[in-house]
Amino acid sequence: MESIQHFFMTSPFDADSVRHALWLIIALPALGALINGVFGRWLGRANSNLIATAAVGGSFVLALLTFWHINDWNQVFTTPFDTRPIRYAVGMDHGTWFSAGDFIVHFGLRVDHLSGTLLLVITGVGTLIHLYSTEYMSHDAGYWRYFAYLNLFVAMMLTLVMADNLLLLFVGWEGVGLCSYLLIGFWYSDPAKAWAGRKAFITNRVGDFAFLIATFLTCLVMWSFVKQANVDNFGNVTAQQAFATGLREKGPVDFSGLEALARALPVDPGHAPTGTPAVTLQTEIAQGPLSGITYGTVLTAILLLFLLGAAGKSAQLPLYVWLPDAMAGPTPVSALIHAATMVTAGVYLFCRMSFLLVLSPTAMAFVAVVGALTALFAAVIAFAQDDIKKVLAYSTVSQLGFMFMAVGVGAFWAAILHLVTHAFFKACLFLGAGSVMHGNADETDIKKLGGVKRKMKVTYVTFTIATAAITGAIPLSGFFSKDAILHAVHGTTLAGHEAITHLVWILGLLAAAGTAFYMTRVWFLTFQGDRAADARIPEEKVHESGWAMTVPLVLLAALSVLAIGYGIPLMSAGEHGREPVMENFLRPIFATAESITSAQATVAVSHEGSLAFSWILAFVIAWVATGAAIFAYTRFFPSRAGQPAPAFAKRFQTWTRDKFYVDELYDLVIIKPIRGLASLLFRVVDAVVIDTLAVRGTAWVTARVGSVLRYFQTGDTQSYAAVMALALLGGVAWALVQVLK
Amino acid sequence: MTETSNWLLNVVIFLPLLFAGLVAFLPSGERTLVRGTTFVGMLLSALASVWLYLDFVPNGPEFQFETRWHWIDALGISYHIGVDGLAVSLILLTGFLGPMVVLASWGTVQNRVKEFHLSLLVLQTAMLGALSSLDIILFYVFWEAMLIPMYLLIGVWGSEDRVMAAVKFFLYTLVGSFLMLVAILAIYFISQPNAGARSFDLATIYNALVGANRELSACLAAGGENCHLSPVAATLKTWGPYLFLAFALAFAIKVPMWPVHTWLPDAHVQAPMAGSIILAGVMLKMGTFGFWRFAFPLFPANGREFQILLAVLAVIGIVYGALMCLAQRDIKKLIAYSSVSHLGFCMLGMLAMSKEGATGSAYQMLNHGVSTGALFLLFGLLYDRGHTRLMADYGGVAKVMPVFAAFFLIITFSSIAVPGTNGFVGEFLVLLGTFKSDFLKYGFGVFAATAVILGAAYMLWMVQRVFFGEPSHREAHHLSDLNAREIVTALPFVVLVLVMGLMPQPFLERIEPASARFVARATLGSPHAPADAARLLRMEVADLPPAESAPKIAALPAAPTPVPAPSPAALQAVEIPPTVRPVETPVRRPIERRFPQLQRVQPSPSARQP
Repeated sequence: MESIQHFFMTSPFDADSVRHALWLIIALPALGALINGVFGRWLGRANSNLIATAAVGGSFVLALLTFWHINDWNQVFTTPFDTRPIRYAVGMDHGTWFSAGDFIVHFGLRVDHLSGTLLLVITGVGTLIHLYSTEYMSHDAGYWRYFAYLNLFVAMMLTLVMADNLLLLFVGWEGVGLCSYLLIGFWYSDPAKAWAGRKAFITNRVGDFAFLIATFLTCLVMWSFVKQANVDNFGNVTAQQAFATGLREKGPVDFSGLEALARALPVDPGHAPTGTPAVTLQTEIAQGPLSGITYGTVLTAILLLFLLGAAGKSAQLPLYVWLPDAMAGPTPVSALIHAATMVTAGVYLFCRMSFLLVLSPTAMAFVAVVGALTALFAAVIAFAQDDIKKVLAYSTVSQLGFMFMAVGVGAFWAAILHLVTHAFFKACLFLGAGSVMHGNADETDIKKLGGVKRKMKVTYVTFTIATAAITGAIPLSGFFSKDAILHAVHGTTLAGHEAITHLVWILGLLAAAGTAFYMTRVWFLTFQGDRAADARIPEEKVHESGWAMTVPLVLLAALSVLAIGYGIPLMSAGEHGREPVMENFLRPIFATAESITSAQATVAVSHEGSLAFSWILAFVIAWVATGAAIFAYTRFFPSRAGQPAPAFAKRFQTWTRDKFYVDELYDLVIIKPIRGLASLLFRVVDAVVIDTLAVRGTAWVTARVGSVLRYFQTGDTQSYAAVMALALLGGVAWALVQVLK
Repeated sequence: MTETSNWLLNVVIFLPLLFAGLVAFLPSGERTLVRGTTFVGMLLSALASVWLYLDFVPNGPEFQFETRWHWIDALGISYHIGVDGLAVSLILLTGFLGPMVVLASWGTVQNRVKEFHLSLLVLQTAMLGALSSLDIILFYVFWEAMLIPMYLLIGVWGSEDRVMAAVKFFLYTLVGSFLMLVAILAIYFISQPNAGARSFDLATIYNALVGANRELSACLAAGGENCHLSPVAATLKTWGPYLFLAFALAFAIKVPMWPVHTWLPDAHVQAPMAGSIILAGVMLKMGTFGFWRFAFPLFPANGREFQILLAVLAVIGIVYGALMCLAQRDIKKLIAYSSVSHLGFCMLGMLAMSKEGATGSAYQMLNHGVSTGALFLLFGLLYDRGHTRLMADYGGVAKVMPVFAAFFLIITFSSIAVPGTNGFVGEFLVLLGTFKSDFLKYGFGVFAATAVILGAAYMLWMVQRVFFGEPSHREAHHLSDLNAREIVTALPFVVLVLVMGLMPQPFLERIEPASARFVARATLGSPHAPADAARLLRMEVADLPPAESAPKIAALPAAPTPVPAPSPAALQAVEIPPTVRPVETPVRRPIERRFPQLQRVQPSPSARQP
């Protein structure tokens, strides 16, 4: 046992070679995208499939080796910001991207336990989904375009997680949005699908707008802090100089720099490292455009703006509206982008910047509340959706809400654990849904399916495992990850926002019950019971998918089970007994956040709540909701199309089916007024006021004046002479008057 | 290669004119020959501009590749050209667009082919000349000279309402230009009270005004009452605002800033593809360039009185331009209004008066030239096939023209500033500079940043109407994809979009010193002036060579400079005394060549004004 542990915790590689190979993880899929995008048309289907899948597969192998490397305690990553090296990490700086004035940003890559975990998820699940796609897209003429986009997406997602600064992260952030736009609108001949892509991109842009402003404010804070802070902020002169050097060399958006800032900024004077007055969150910024505002206020504003940015990408309230429509894209895309990877970017962002988040309990409370409300709201909408992909989409929104809840109470490891397990079981569910569609002539309405289990055994079994994982009815990976979140929410209080944590916990429990209900409903209506009367094809024609689709399903189902290992408390955690594997594994990442939390009491974590209690609670909730769903759909209203349902259920159903009219509300409150304003300004201000009145008016006045003056230019000598004489006379008369006075 | 460098800028500027002379003698029936000759001329000028760009030393003296000859000595007008980091970048852009425009019009323009290409060549020289003039009158000559060929391009080869658009363009621009001329004359007299020793040289006028402007800044900062000002400063206090506004109006019309932008949509819609590309690509930058080179350095104190007003107009332009795009049906008009929005960013970055903002502004000028130039080019190619500018008449184009669609989409992403493309770097720096500005509140940045959302909204809306869905007309099924010539024309734009997005540093390196100088000069006398401002204030240029009667070689032994060890670091450390700087002192060249004997001239005592 010892020797195995030693084997996996000793890097077999030379640190330099790993560093220099990091870029290849991104470059491989990017190259695949380039080849498929430019030459795909002439490559042929098999080559195209091979290149795309091999590119991501190769990336996965590299990611695995890198992961092995960073399991080694001796592998360190140094930044100019900090005199101490960062353990369990590897980084590479590829030089300046751009600089101007004081600003500079590098092409810097970093893999540590957080980004390493995501690397494996992205490339691993990505490879499986590429494999799956080779069969799923086997009848589509645009396959090469599809694979080019999908490869590009993987490259962008990897950029997002490997970036060591905010701006390079933003390249990936917008890049994945771009690929999502292209893939949602993949079948662009259908205007509705093209529109869905556009909606996704523009909604995301609202978030990006906030992200950008947050980035600017972050730069300003860094620049102000370096001028204003004194030795007491840093503890010693060396650290202070290191911070200034780092800021100059690596720029204000480097994550290590932000971490150094968080460490140096005490919450209030009472918690200053030494007695003398240091710059604290209550200190006002001395100069520059933000002068007079305290660091704490700006920081909270920054975090709330990042929250809006993350809400765009991760489909949280109020920007979740694009995700359900994004189901217009091919199903494997929904699995990869809109379930497993891209939509978790917001969670990743906050985990990456956990040290900043814990400085502001207000921002944390906002994150937690947004997450909890989203989780519940989306779960309720999912109750009445009939499109299997739409249910899964709302389910994704809801599960992302859980992750935000975890982030909001500072249980970052639980968020990442749920992110990983969710990637497995939700990808499995989506791919299962794709398989169902593939075998049922592209039918997506669960009311027109039914009894699918008889013909599609593999899909049925894997879908069942994944459903059990997400509902928590059987303690599979989802049970432990979701429970880790609820347990953390229950045991944590945010300074100054005690009531909110309780509210979040209750909302979370309700959302968990909702999850069990709608997932059981989908599972039940799709796979159990009789074949629907109005099914698109009869049961005899339903067929199981080929190996390329079933193998990923089986592997993902297996992972949904195996991921239990991360959630079980196995590792020793000193006085607190044992802690889950994931928490232990991610400790190096969240150490700064944890030390800030414990030193400055922004978040109080109680270790008293018993894990067993919350396990039992979660188990009961899952079974109550599952039972309710089964009962309701077998006995009460087995609502296949046309069958009656009680009136109250119908009204509720109409509201939830129509998604509480949020889209219509946005259209009425935001889109229509902007369109109206645009056309008003164009027709009135531009065309009439400026162009007609001002511009043509000037021309008209000039012309009129000219035509009046024309009468004086008669060319008649006599009249000229007369005018001259009159003028002379007048002048003389005036002079006379003056003299006589 | 100092000898080369001396004539290189002249070559870049006048090669197109030389080829215009050549083309003028070609028979008008020989269309291919005319096109070919023009293309070669443009291409050579472009290659020379690339050479110029690469030879430009980023941290060298402010103006490089200077040439200064006698012209009208009696009035103090000289032929004086030279480029700084901004000008050399814009020259590169202009040079690049030249051959592209000829290629793009190859299949489009069929009537009066010779005259068309003559106009293009003359226009090219005028634009390059305006960018490199260091004498204000010379600048004005080139500035006005740009108008005529562009007027012809719109008025002769334009669409249905071309005459109206051409006249509107001409009159609009002329109004500003005449006011500017008056201001030029006024500043000529104000800056140099001594009759007989006056000069129209930009550096002379600027350096003469620095002291007065500093006084005025201090006075205005103290409330503007009861100041003891020198005569020049007192004149500036009274008349400076009007002079600044005269310059500002001329340039604002060219930019165009809201609300003097209404000539632009008409001109763009009616202009032929080549006209639109040049108009958007280069001519609009003449406005921003003018603010950068003339309006703010000459009138820093007066300029700052209008800084907030101009910044408000810039932000209105950004948002208003974007909203206008949402109301368009005509694709060309949409692209034209998007220019109003993008140029608003250029203005805002400059008005922020921070180094980040100014650098971003200059970079955004280049980006806009590349991406909007490319948008007009690509739309021109589509128009050749579909013969309609209305979005509703297209649809489903991606299906029949996939290569075209791919190009257009990439350029669209550049236009809406997706990271990785050039647009992002410019927009990011402009917004960062605006947030960092000591003069503008963060509200400016927040409002300007809404263009991030609106830009995506209108561009993707247009893309969807044109490219996605099913074709709305039967004809649309028969649009042919790009041919080899068209791909060759469009590909460089796409490559540039990515290169400038991923490797902006070589471009920014050349812009940065220029923006540091701009900020130092524009913030002169302000409490927020950067710490290193003092050393950057003075404009160093070559002196006028002695009177033409004296052989130039006679000046040779005047300054026997000892030759130190040619280490670049040592060279940078050498303090060059004011106004005695020879024409060419790039850092990286061997020392013997850095001080060309021809220019080793002692200044005449009159040029040594404090």
